Amino acid sequence: MSAQATVDLPLSARQPASLGLHRVIRLANWWPALRRLLLAWPFPMAIFVLWSLASHYQWVAPQVLPTPETVLTTFGDLLRNGDLRSNGVISFYRVIAGFGIGAGIGLALGVGMGLSPTFKDYVYPLFKAFAQVPSLGWLPLLMMLVGIDEALKIILVAKAALVPVALNTFKGIETVPTRYIDVAKVYGFSKWQLLAKVVFPSAFPMIWNGVRYGLTHSWLALVAVELLASSEGLGFLIVYGRQLYQMDVVMAAVVVVGAVGYVLDKVLALIEARLLRWRREAF
Amino acid sequence: MTASTINTNLASVNESNRKSPLRYLHPATIPKPLRGWVIPALLLILWWATYRFGWTQSQLFVPISKVWETAVRLSSTGELWQSLAASLARDLVGFVIGSLIGLLVGGALGLSRLLEDLIGPTFHTLKQISLFAWIPLISLWFGLGDAAKVAFLALAAFFPVVLNSFEGIRSVPREYIEVARVFAYSRTQLLTRVVLPAALPSIFTGVYLALIYAWLATLGAEYLLTSGLGIGNLLTDGREHFWMDYVILGVIVVGIVGFLLNWIASRVEARLLRWRGRSVAQF
Amino acid sequence: MAHAGTLEINNLSKQYQVKGEALPVLENISLSIKPGEFVSIVGSSGCGKSTLLRLVIGLEHDYKGEILLDGKKIVGTSLDRGIVFQEHRLFPWLTVEQNVGIGLLNAGLSTAQKNKSVQEHIELVGLKGFETAYPYQLSGGMSQRVAIARALVNRPEVLLLDEPFGALDALTRTHLQQELQRIWEAEGITAILVTHDVEEAVYLSDRVVVMQPRPGRIKRIVDVPLARPRDRGSFAFSQIKDDVLSEFSDTPRGDIALVQPQETLGANWQFAW
Repeated sequence: MSAQATVDLPLSARQPASLGLHRVIRLANWWPALRRLLLAWPFPMAIFVLWSLASHYQWVAPQVLPTPETVLTTFGDLLRNGDLRSNGVISFYRVIAGFGIGAGIGLALGVGMGLSPTFKDYVYPLFKAFAQVPSLGWLPLLMMLVGIDEALKIILVAKAALVPVALNTFKGIETVPTRYIDVAKVYGFSKWQLLAKVVFPSAFPMIWNGVRYGLTHSWLALVAVELLASSEGLGFLIVYGRQLYQMDVVMAAVVVVGAVGYVLDKVLALIEARLLRWRREAF
Repeated sequence: MTASTINTNLASVNESNRKSPLRYLHPATIPKPLRGWVIPALLLILWWATYRFGWTQSQLFVPISKVWETAVRLSSTGELWQSLAASLARDLVGFVIGSLIGLLVGGALGLSRLLEDLIGPTFHTLKQISLFAWIPLISLWFGLGDAAKVAFLALAAFFPVVLNSFEGIRSVPREYIEVARVFAYSRTQLLTRVVLPAALPSIFTGVYLALIYAWLATLGAEYLLTSGLGIGNLLTDGREHFWMDYVILGVIVVGIVGFLLNWIASRVEARLLRWRGRSVAQF
Repeated sequence: MAHAGTLEINNLSKQYQVKGEALPVLENISLSIKPGEFVSIVGSSGCGKSTLLRLVIGLEHDYKGEILLDGKKIVGTSLDRGIVFQEHRLFPWLTVEQNVGIGLLNAGLSTAQKNKSVQEHIELVGLKGFETAYPYQLSGGMSQRVAIARALVNRPEVLLLDEPFGALDALTRTHLQQELQRIWEAEGITAILVTHDVEEAVYLSDRVVVMQPRPGRIKRIVDVPLARPRDRGSFAFSQIKDDVLSEFSDTPRGDIALVQPQETLGANWQFAW
């Protein structure tokens, strides 16, 4: 809006005025962002107000809907007495360990199936059958086989990560465009050069997608297993609060569960942006 | 690019390998269609041998025949079918409700920037909360019965449908919109004849994900909100009584249902999107 | 046969805002096109020839001057003007006949009339037998034929073509040029073709409008008084072609010149703030 008005000014007139005009321009560029920021608030605020009214006037029982203040106080208490931190750390450790193992195996499986048709012929049908059963479907079987200790959580979280990582790695390698392989042939690449310079970089975006899905699924599976069979962790904290009808504890823990999930995904997104810089430049 | 082309490019195959006396045992000599059966067959033989030669006394170990007998028994008493029907009915109702609401919300967010700015940020925040963390809240608000389960399933189906229908509508190519303008389309015509079909593949991906998530959530809901019938309850029962045959049967049924849901989705997709020639559903 | 329109463009100017600066794309374009005439617009990239077409079809607004079709000022898009884009822009979810049919959605015809018109136009572009094919089953040339049928199915008064064969291989392109000529003669329609292929322009047009960039202006209008069908190998043909091409040779390459002013604009802009 204001930007084009300045165009007609002679150069000499522009420079001294630059500071003020600078601000105008900045404001013009910022307006959409500012608008978004402003508009993001009314809806959650309305819910918050409704929540406050409903809880203060006790339209519903306080065990079912505590007041926002109670939740905030509880949140503070849980932070201070270390309950949130210790349980959060345990969940975090479980998800990282399980995800690491699952993604590692998934990557190996995917690479194997992608590179060797023979290996694929042997393994893929069983893998597909295995993947048809959701992680939660395996849970009772695993509970009987390995009990309800740490191993159960790690295995289940690993399974949740394994399937998407293996599948995407396999598909990523399988769909490396022939034209890139042709270029490598023209330049007489060796087998390892072909893998390192062509196959993996080209398959990487898809593999990484699998890794992100894997982590999301891992977190989902972990919270589920902690809700069902655990005496520590964020999921346990939720169940604990639920059993004691302390909705404030439940809500505080749910918020942390959401935050951890968000941070995990954000970290991977940042790594992706860093690793895949070539993508936007190339296309 | 298929795995086989990479492979032939990679390995200018070791000729000496081919001539070794062990070549008849080499994995590559078994005919392709049979390869997928090798590992499952070996596992089944191992299972059978374990029982036959009494390698373990664990009560967790049940012979294959016992799983089969249980399957026959539970299916003749109708217990299996009742559980399955209860789970599927729940799955379907939750899936339909969640998808429909998801379509409405996703469509509204996609078509109106104002609504996107108003509701989008709240939605993206809520989406971060690991699905199962909702269960304690839902159980407090909706109880432990079918209402709570259906509400949870609907929530599981809701998120992917909103995200994908929103994305689908926002990424309708400008070029198509211009064609509609050239032919003087009204707003309704533009929506029904251009935006909707162009967004359909993405919407379908969302509905497909919703189907998968809803099935996963069905299990989770039946584990956590233990009341009534369902495959999840069958599994829980089996685990609590240390009936391994029940649990194995349950896992197999869960896998078959997952497979069938996938299959149905891919058939529907092939029919609806036959103009596209490829599938998002994966087996 | 369709009524062929008279197109009158008077003192047309258009500018875009780039980073807050006004960037003139078209300046003072005046052009009068007779009913049933075939006019080509050639020019290097960035001369605004596509913008001119988008203004005539009604996809761009905010211009100075007038664009008159049969003496009436054009307002937005309308079924009396048809267009073929460079990319075919067929809807992938519709079959060939449905794609052609979308042009008739607002034509106010009965279903029988619509079907008849669609069928006629599919035959006109030589795609009989492909009515139920989906776009992914068609080659680039076939897709562009469908796009031509879709543009003509309303019997518009003017047919606009925005580098319609630019993305096709040379053989298909030559063949489709002959086809376009046949179709244009059969329909007796007014046609405006934007292209960067001078031979294509000379082969098809009654007049070739040469444009020059920054801002887009008409440099020269060359008449092509040759009888149809034209022989690309004939001396008269090459003479006209060379004549048009000579208009390009003495100016600096368009894309080089295009980048520089923008850079200086950018630099000034940075200095200014």
